[in-house]
Amino acid sequence: MKRFRTHLMLCAGTGCVSNGTFAIKEVLERELEKHDLQDEVAVVMTGCNGFCAQGPLMVVQPDGIFYQYLTTENISHLVEEHFLKGRPVKKLMYVPPGEESPIPELHSIPFFKDQRLIAMRNRGMIDPDNIEEYIARDGYKALAKVLTSSTPEAVIQEISDSGLRGRGGAGFPTGRKWDSRRKDPRTPKYVVCNADEGDPGAFMDRSIVEADPHSILEGMAIGAYSIGAFQGYVYLRMEYPLAVKRMTFAIEQAKEYGLLGDDILGTGFNFNIDIFRGAGAFVCGETTALVASIEGKPPEPRQRPPRTTLWEKPVVINNVETWANVPVIMNLGAKWFSEIGTETSKGTKVFSLAGNINNAGLVEVPMGITLREIVYDIGGGIPKGKEFKAVQTGGPSGGVIPASLLDLSVDYEQLDKAGSMMGSGGMIVMDENTCMVDVARYFVEFTNDESCGKCTPCREGSYVLLEILNRLCKGEGKQGDLELLDELGEAIKDAAQCGLGQSLPNPVLSSLKHFRDEYKAHLEEKRCPAGICKALITFTIDDEKCKGCRLCSKKCPQDAITGEAKETHIIDQDKCIKCGVCMDVCKFEAVLVA
Amino acid sequence: MSKIKPEDLDKIGEKIKRTMLLREGSYRAKVTIHMGTCGIAAGARKVMSTLLDLIEKEQVKDVILSASSCAGLCSREPMITVELKGKTPVKYVDLDEEKTMKIFQAHVLDGEVVQEYALAIGSERVG
Amino acid sequence: MIQATDKKVGAVLVVGGGVGGMQASLDLAEGGYKVYLVEKGPSIGGVMAQLDKTFPTNDCAMCTLAPRMVDCGGHMNIEKMTYSEIESIEGSAGNFKVRVRKKARYVDPEKCTGCGDCVESCLVRNIVYIDQPGRAPVQIEEDVRVRVDDILDRYSGGREIIVPILHDLNEEFRWLPPEVLCRVAEVKEIPIEHILRIASFYNAFSLKPKGKNIIRVCTGTACYVKGAPRILDTFARELKVEVGDITDDGQFSLETVNCVGCCGQSPVITVNEDIFGYVNQAMIPDVIGKYT
Repeated sequence: MKRFRTHLMLCAGTGCVSNGTFAIKEVLERELEKHDLQDEVAVVMTGCNGFCAQGPLMVVQPDGIFYQYLTTENISHLVEEHFLKGRPVKKLMYVPPGEESPIPELHSIPFFKDQRLIAMRNRGMIDPDNIEEYIARDGYKALAKVLTSSTPEAVIQEISDSGLRGRGGAGFPTGRKWDSRRKDPRTPKYVVCNADEGDPGAFMDRSIVEADPHSILEGMAIGAYSIGAFQGYVYLRMEYPLAVKRMTFAIEQAKEYGLLGDDILGTGFNFNIDIFRGAGAFVCGETTALVASIEGKPPEPRQRPPRTTLWEKPVVINNVETWANVPVIMNLGAKWFSEIGTETSKGTKVFSLAGNINNAGLVEVPMGITLREIVYDIGGGIPKGKEFKAVQTGGPSGGVIPASLLDLSVDYEQLDKAGSMMGSGGMIVMDENTCMVDVARYFVEFTNDESCGKCTPCREGSYVLLEILNRLCKGEGKQGDLELLDELGEAIKDAAQCGLGQSLPNPVLSSLKHFRDEYKAHLEEKRCPAGICKALITFTIDDEKCKGCRLCSKKCPQDAITGEAKETHIIDQDKCIKCGVCMDVCKFEAVLVA
Repeated sequence: MSKIKPEDLDKIGEKIKRTMLLREGSYRAKVTIHMGTCGIAAGARKVMSTLLDLIEKEQVKDVILSASSCAGLCSREPMITVELKGKTPVKYVDLDEEKTMKIFQAHVLDGEVVQEYALAIGSERVG
Repeated sequence: MIQATDKKVGAVLVVGGGVGGMQASLDLAEGGYKVYLVEKGPSIGGVMAQLDKTFPTNDCAMCTLAPRMVDCGGHMNIEKMTYSEIESIEGSAGNFKVRVRKKARYVDPEKCTGCGDCVESCLVRNIVYIDQPGRAPVQIEEDVRVRVDDILDRYSGGREIIVPILHDLNEEFRWLPPEVLCRVAEVKEIPIEHILRIASFYNAFSLKPKGKNIIRVCTGTACYVKGAPRILDTFARELKVEVGDITDDGQFSLETVNCVGCCGQSPVITVNEDIFGYVNQAMIPDVIGKYT
């Protein structure tokens, strides 16, 4: 293998690719060649680095220098300065919000500094398309150890001792799940990786599949050995084409190396994995619906118990992140793992931090960390100095957590208690300009649309919830609506058949609990305090701030804004359709909404 | 690629260990080549490629090379700074291929400072 | 009845007690007419009572039907004549004379509680059956058939092959034309109803043709709180198209997608395979311009 003095770890996760990583790679290689550096400096495409908001990203190793917001235009300067003359380029480095001097090194940036990587241990370190790099980072070692010197029972014991719980959201103890399937006498058995990451605002699974597919395959192989399965499926969301590509390639490579297929590592153990592409139905993340989908039946959840089965045979279904944790636990031991985290929740959890936050991206933190640390220390707080309002966890099944609970420590039980849930790990930060009624309406609209329609509480219940919330957002709320929301929400929780239905009222109930005043403002005063609900707001122009630049009047689709150049503009309220273009384009923050 | 056995995993790992160490930023020795315009003019590129060849030839896994800008002593270029982990960095001046090889053998691999080429031990104080 | 005069009778006879007949009867009865509802089967309800879901909206059949059955059953103005058939009709509009044969049911409707014991214990026949009408061969163009069959050849097995097949077909044709689905049903011997049910369940499959370019506005939570609804509105306005439809010139389809996992750069849209991050309303005309 060729030796290079420097490796440029160019992030090729979906986020960065959307901003032109591949074009940057081409320019980078051309520039390196121009300076005759192609034999000294290597360009490596890695999976998602996690700091998606700053993309496209690149980390220069071994120096650990972190570059952000790359463009095809600034590459030439970068190559000449840094790689030829050895002068790192300050203006492409990360500058923390509110500060002036940049932080050159990745490990000093607060976003990365406070994270602890287990499931995402290889992110940004390896080329996901090269199995040897995974092996060099102790990859497949756990599998070899398990196959040559461990019994299935011992593996399950180790996983149980580690305290690992399902990372898909519900938090069922993984060891107990495996044990029950091992004891089931029916054969053949199956293992499934649930990568149907449907929660809007969550992208942990995508990132792990894109950055480190082999850690999932290794985890699944260990699981298969422990329960006695020969066939596995990765149920992958089709909305993630890059993840499908990487996973397909990883499986091929693993087969070629004899790490999947017949007689793995010469130990006589056979295990095969196939990909099953999901087709864009949120409910398929629910395990009983997921197996129905693989079986080719309409993916409607089934009543449990009896336990979920695939073709009426035992099956272990775990989330991507759970599987990725398994090899590390087998390598470093249950004791090591169980020392991280809290009493009931062990290890780390990956969250996708997004919404109104400075450092959006993927973070892996030890359980028990407070929300405040995640939002302010790692996330860097709220942009534009706006006020923090709430953080939404658990996607459409979770709830909102207000500022008063920011010191809550993050584990399965605490989040449940606060009326939300761990969920798969979406964490959406909301500022003062987010309307809680509108957010609740959004989630109910989502679940109403995604409800499979099998049971009435979910299908009709979500519809009625939506009707009431729509009414409130239009300022047509009726007396007693809030009480009705409470009552109906509780009823759906009790009566719905599957997890999707039982949790769909959470966004409504939790926001009602913590932000009742906002609901009351919609109901009684016909007012949207956050300035979001179209029917309840008006746009006006502040005559003190308006410079009369005419930008808004040019962009207004309705020609509703009039005014001479350099004079205050006026919005004709009869023509205004409240699209908000004027507010978006105004450079002086002169457009007010109330 | 034929099917592998458990013991092959270590072999593959060993094979690209250096690459991985480089990315983890963990190393025993770091050699910085001063590659300002003056350094390049004086032949720093040659020093760099010599070092790369040596590392390749000796199968060294724990030494990293890094380029930095002009060290401010343009008349004595090409220069390198050798820093063993936990030790004070040493600056060498007026280098050529032969001297570089000697420094690599003695200082980088065996830990003996080559006094005859050394300019100074330690770095300027910064700030 | 009144002999041939100009005077019209305030009563209506509805033939057939399916969901259509019931609704007609209810509307008329509510409007004040006396309604005679004639049904040849032993109960009103018709075919819909035998269905689980109805095309194309996948509404629950019983939920649509049951309230109407109950209303018809109890309505003062509707006189139901089940297990009856029309023998003759005379007269003209407003003045018909109809002869109805009420068949003997050998059950006293006043006393029957609908327990079903008689069906269970009947020796002659107590198996539920549905008449299967024969199906004509699928009408499909030759080149289309070849393309479909190529894909079908890749898969064998039971119903678990449907989703992968539909994925491939959807990629090949960009949507799922009816004749293509019928061909799948024919070759793989899977009922078309089942295929339709699967195809209509998943968002990834389209039962409508698509525009040349597909614009998807991500409405995941992160994008939503950062303004995705306004982005969507602006696209709809600029392209003069409803969400879910194609533009008149067939150039663009406008859709939403539930999160493309690019939340760090919200709001996000995708056009075909390209992803755009940090979208604002002002740049939308440029994005559209790029693809026209």
